[in-house]
Amino acid sequence: MSNLAPTIWVEFLKARRSKIPWLTLLGFSLVPFIGGFFMIIMKDPDLARRMGMISAKAQIIVGSADWQTYLGLVAQATAIGGMILFGFISSWVFGREYSDHTLKDLLALPTARATIVLAKFVVVLLWSAMLTLIIYLISLGVGAAIDLPPTTAAIFRQGSITIAISAALTIALVTPIAFFASAGRGYLPPLGALVLAVILAQIIAATGWGEYFPWSVPALRAGMAGPQYANLGMISYWIVLLMSFVGIIGTFVWWGLADQSH
Amino acid sequence: MHTAIETNTLVKRYGSVTAVDEVTLRVAQGEIYAFLGLNGAGKTTTIRMLLGMVKPTAGEVHVLGTSIRAGHKPPWASVGYLVETPNAYPELTVRENLEAMRRLRPGTEAKAVQRIIDLMGLGTYADRRAGTLSLGNGQRLGLAKALMHQPALLILDEPANGLDPAGIVEIRKLLRELVREQGVTVFMSSHILGEVARLAHRIGIIHQGRLIQELAIAELERNRRRRLVLRTRDCAAAHAVLIEASFAATLLANNTIEMQHEDALARPDAIATRLVQAGHAPTMLTIEEEDLEHYFLRLVGRAEAGREAAQTR
Repeated sequence: MSNLAPTIWVEFLKARRSKIPWLTLLGFSLVPFIGGFFMIIMKDPDLARRMGMISAKAQIIVGSADWQTYLGLVAQATAIGGMILFGFISSWVFGREYSDHTLKDLLALPTARATIVLAKFVVVLLWSAMLTLIIYLISLGVGAAIDLPPTTAAIFRQGSITIAISAALTIALVTPIAFFASAGRGYLPPLGALVLAVILAQIIAATGWGEYFPWSVPALRAGMAGPQYANLGMISYWIVLLMSFVGIIGTFVWWGLADQSH
Repeated sequence: MHTAIETNTLVKRYGSVTAVDEVTLRVAQGEIYAFLGLNGAGKTTTIRMLLGMVKPTAGEVHVLGTSIRAGHKPPWASVGYLVETPNAYPELTVRENLEAMRRLRPGTEAKAVQRIIDLMGLGTYADRRAGTLSLGNGQRLGLAKALMHQPALLILDEPANGLDPAGIVEIRKLLRELVREQGVTVFMSSHILGEVARLAHRIGIIHQGRLIQELAIAELERNRRRRLVLRTRDCAAAHAVLIEASFAATLLANNTIEMQHEDALARPDAIATRLVQAGHAPTMLTIEEEDLEHYFLRLVGRAEAGREAAQTR
């Protein structure tokens, strides 16, 4: 695929000059702090009540204030928050060309449309992965700052792998959102699809069929429904990969073959 | 002369609406071809088909000798274009917008950005965000993107849109120079008919999706309606004198006499002499030439009438 590197450079330039990276970082940064907040409460619920951090009637979630629980919370928040945030990034990267009416400038160039689509996917992937890494590093800082008890390297490794896998599965699912942004010609259709996917993921996970619904899989893998459901069968991973592949193909085909009269 | 653009019975339908109806045209290399039409006539849809953005329902498009179809290697490295209102990435500066476009056009040298900034008079705005540009400067930026890589063919949709009179003259001069010095072909749509008359070598008039006429500017001169208009102190009496002398003259409601016959147009002095001899010296005598605007509206009106008549039958 010729001219890919310069095309990625162009896509990064567009992202870098916008406010969206900062907004997504700000939004995603809440994850470790919210996790840290829960850890403080779990460490000493009575103190939290006295300080007014929680209501006297609040039910404290089951778990203990340790690295394993904290990293588990970060993984779950990454799976759910990431689905919304990474989906938003994908909506912006693809949908902005329609909303800003800049698409027409990209359609009759010596750089193939497929190269442009691929460059956009690369940017979405790297941007989302970078956010995950930053959030992971902030989480380590927050965990140390709230003085979580020391733990073993194995627990760290396990928690980190869970965050990485949950994030990877979540990132894989942004490709259908890119398709909706392209076929829907703007931001709103993909965001609508995203909200629908998140709602369906909750409902289907609650019915016990979540491992077969792609958008339920990352949160299940992160341990949202409890550690007993976190060990998913290979079929769940294949379903996510298949959905990701469908999104990629759909987006390439749409950019390549559909009438672009917008 | 080689053909830069060629379409054969090009059709585009959206459901039951035919946006472009069997348009066949040829644009020779080094020619400035103006595509005229009312809003919704099919100009932009045709341009989008030329650029491979919209697939024809039927027919063929060849640009610089290459068929524009999915799967073919298109000639876009040699084509510069501007479709509808130019839009740029608002958060990028003018320079960054051009740099982005340069990188998407491999082979365009780095100094092309500064060169086109200077050429298009964008120096003052080079480091301003594109979102803050006026309509006219946005148009200049759009044209800069189309021209930066020194294309062999320019496809421009309303290139003078939003430009002030000085800007229009500048663009006209620039396009003429490109054609004269570099042999660039220009295919442009426009609704500024006076501009088209000054710039184009040939004109295609599209109405309701159909190419109703194609003509060279010289032919346009011949086809334009001319009339001799005169006035005297007593037009009714002067009209009677002209009729008596076997001239075809019409007395208009605004107390003016109109003559369209070739003899009258060729010999206005004879008309004046006859009237003076009869004691009705003209107070005004002029030959009026139909401008492109009126010619265009007459043609479109005729096409409209023809279509209605066909539907009635």
